[in-house]
Amino acid sequence: MTNDIVIDVRDYNLYYGDFHALLDVNLSIKKKSVTAIIGPSGCGKSTLLRGLNRMNDLIDQVRVTGEIFIEGKPIYAEKRDLVELRKKVGMVFQRPNPFPLSVYENVAFGLRLHSHLSKEEVAQKVEESLKAVALWKELKDKLKAPALRLSGEQQQRLCIARLAAMSADIFLMDEPCSALDPVATQHIEELIRVLKEDYTIVIVTHNMAQAARVSDETAYFYLGKLIEMGPTDQIFTRPARKETEDYITGRFG
Amino acid sequence: MSLRKKFFVCLTVFIFQMASVLPVFAEGEAIQIKGSDTMVNLGQAWAEEFMRANPEVSIAVTGGGSGTGIAAIISNTCDIAQASRSMKEEEIEKAENSGEKIHETIVGYDGIAVVAHPSNPVSGLTIAQIADIFTGKVKNWNELGGKDLPILVLSRDRNSGTHVFFLEHVLRGGNSKGPEEFDTEALMMPSNQSLVQEIKSSEAAIGYVGLGYVTSDLKVITVAKNDGSEYVEPSIETVQNATYPISRPLYFYTRGTLRPAVQKFIDFVLGPEGQEIIELLDFVPLNKD
Amino acid sequence: MESARKPWNRALEFLIERAIFFAGIISIFFVILIFVFLLKEGVSLLKTYPLKDFIFGQKWYPISEPPSFGVVPLLLGSLAVTMGAIVIAVPLGMGAAIYIAVVAPGWLKEILKATVEFLAAIPSIVLGFIGLVTLVPLVKQVFHLTTGLTAISGSIMLAFMAMPTIVSMMEDALTAVPRSYREGAIAMGATKWQMIWRVLLPAASSGMLAAIMLGIGRVIGETMAVLMITGNAARIPTSLFQPVRTMTATIAAEMGEAVQGSDHYFALFAIGIVLFIITFLINLAAGFFIGRAHHK
Repeated sequence: MTNDIVIDVRDYNLYYGDFHALLDVNLSIKKKSVTAIIGPSGCGKSTLLRGLNRMNDLIDQVRVTGEIFIEGKPIYAEKRDLVELRKKVGMVFQRPNPFPLSVYENVAFGLRLHSHLSKEEVAQKVEESLKAVALWKELKDKLKAPALRLSGEQQQRLCIARLAAMSADIFLMDEPCSALDPVATQHIEELIRVLKEDYTIVIVTHNMAQAARVSDETAYFYLGKLIEMGPTDQIFTRPARKETEDYITGRFG
Repeated sequence: MSLRKKFFVCLTVFIFQMASVLPVFAEGEAIQIKGSDTMVNLGQAWAEEFMRANPEVSIAVTGGGSGTGIAAIISNTCDIAQASRSMKEEEIEKAENSGEKIHETIVGYDGIAVVAHPSNPVSGLTIAQIADIFTGKVKNWNELGGKDLPILVLSRDRNSGTHVFFLEHVLRGGNSKGPEEFDTEALMMPSNQSLVQEIKSSEAAIGYVGLGYVTSDLKVITVAKNDGSEYVEPSIETVQNATYPISRPLYFYTRGTLRPAVQKFIDFVLGPEGQEIIELLDFVPLNKD
Repeated sequence: MESARKPWNRALEFLIERAIFFAGIISIFFVILIFVFLLKEGVSLLKTYPLKDFIFGQKWYPISEPPSFGVVPLLLGSLAVTMGAIVIAVPLGMGAAIYIAVVAPGWLKEILKATVEFLAAIPSIVLGFIGLVTLVPLVKQVFHLTTGLTAISGSIMLAFMAMPTIVSMMEDALTAVPRSYREGAIAMGATKWQMIWRVLLPAASSGMLAAIMLGIGRVIGETMAVLMITGNAARIPTSLFQPVRTMTATIAAEMGEAVQGSDHYFALFAIGIVLFIITFLINLAAGFFIGRAHHK
């Protein structure tokens, strides 16, 4: 049972200067599952997500207590290799942010950083990764095209592909569909359902219907506290806490 | 009245007002002197002394090179052009196009000293040897009895009267239209000070400056006119008695009939006080006879 | 009250609009006037001196009889000094720009930016003078030369003059790169240097090329400093450790002496045309790169 847990957050507190953004968060996430983090704006859900691969380190005056274990290893431990961590735990941002390089170079980006593969091996990985996000068919003749010319949906898929290429196995998605139209959103959601066969996914979303559609587990955050976490259908049908029910039924938020 | 018309009326009125105000500035009797950098300190010293005795006259002295002064006298934007070379025929022609005659006055002499680094063992050169150095025919000091060291040739730049004088009287042996030229590798220094400084800093250097710029930490080369003749050190006496071969007159150029103040100033320069100042600044005064 | 103010506003707006338009037209008019004048004076040389000998001539003896007005040594002199300056200024400027834009903490960033811009405020003749008394002897000593008045001295000095342009423009280009690119790279486990090298620099490349071009433009037109420290020997340079004579220094040094309307005078204007064409092309290239940077 415990072998299934890949992310384990223990007594996690985070401060931006004087502001206490996350309070004593404890939660665990299972391997090859989709976990949705929901809650009103400013509840700390993105902060937690960015804590999982230590992207918060980029912000000045951030202070953390407690610990997060990824595959059993503490990520805030003193000698933790951030490169290793971020290689394993990839992030997909709100706005698709492919690099101003070609499609091919975007996917190969992580490989060029972290491995010394031969040309053929890189090409192979790029193809596999594009196939994994269902972009290969559309883009196999446009690998040299600048990634910034792609549609928003294609760009977001590409951003997922470049994580897959460097063999990340946890994907952190920070409202990945908020900049996309409904059709594209639907496509990305389908992709998420496919990806969970091989990857562990944590998704932050504003869209409760989306959380209900794609996730196995849901965590509800409010004012920096984890209010409730459980199987998605349970959270959405019979939440244990009154606050959760109020939020889910749209009484506030 | 349209806006445009109003504008032009205002402009015209303004111009007339300015024109009526301007001559007021000239009432203090101003003299403009421009030209040779070699002579700028000299002109300044004359002007100061002259103004002390004649406070109603104000004299402005500026440098820029003999050519600058001559250009100014051609365009009638100065009263006196100071020049360390004589005006070219085409320049005189151009200046006299307006109908006014150009007048030349020699106010003193300048000897040009050939100088080298104090550590240089070569002490005397003939005019022909100097010409060979500056045209690039001789490239190493050992050809002249010195160390085995490539010669660093320093010249003033072409806007300098000293450059032209040296070119015509040394390199071309007095034939001002001769084919000889400075070696392309010769450095063209923008000022006498920078040339002197470069000589001091390089063992291999040779250059030329007006007598007034010679300091005790430079080696002054003695010059012989021909192979057999005597090596002469440049000094006031040797320039005045014409035994030193590289010397030149210093000129004032004026045009047309002179204003009394300008005439008075020139008389002052040629008089005993003016000539004393020349000597004070290490130039060579006119021969008193 | 409101309605009474309206006609005033409109009149004012009209006046301001006209004034701006007029100012724009005037500046264009002056540029054209300058160019026509330059062309007229420069082309006059060709009446008596063949174009071929000007462009390919290897000797600059303007006051000889007959004179030679070969622009080659001067052109190569300018190019040598400029290229040297760029080779020095670009890596340094790039390093400084990257440091200011990405690495330096906020407070230091402001100090550094102000310092670099202050460098631009130092008059070039002052830099030239400082170069003459400090850099020239140093160059002579370090490279064991007979004189320090060489192209390399000019290059080093001009590199300092090009720095403010290069650093501040490159810094702008780097800062303009969306934060999301940087985050994306860091989130993929790139180190700061990998992020800079693989994402930031490619993304900012157009703006940085424009910065280099404008730096070249600044350097090639510089006069006083090169006049003072490059030695001004009109030879064809074979190395940066020789004295050279640049086009600008030639114009500055000889214009005072050249008789107005003489061949020498016209030849100096012809050099002016060459200089004008070069800077024009460089600015054109810079404009092209800036356009591309905005397009992205």
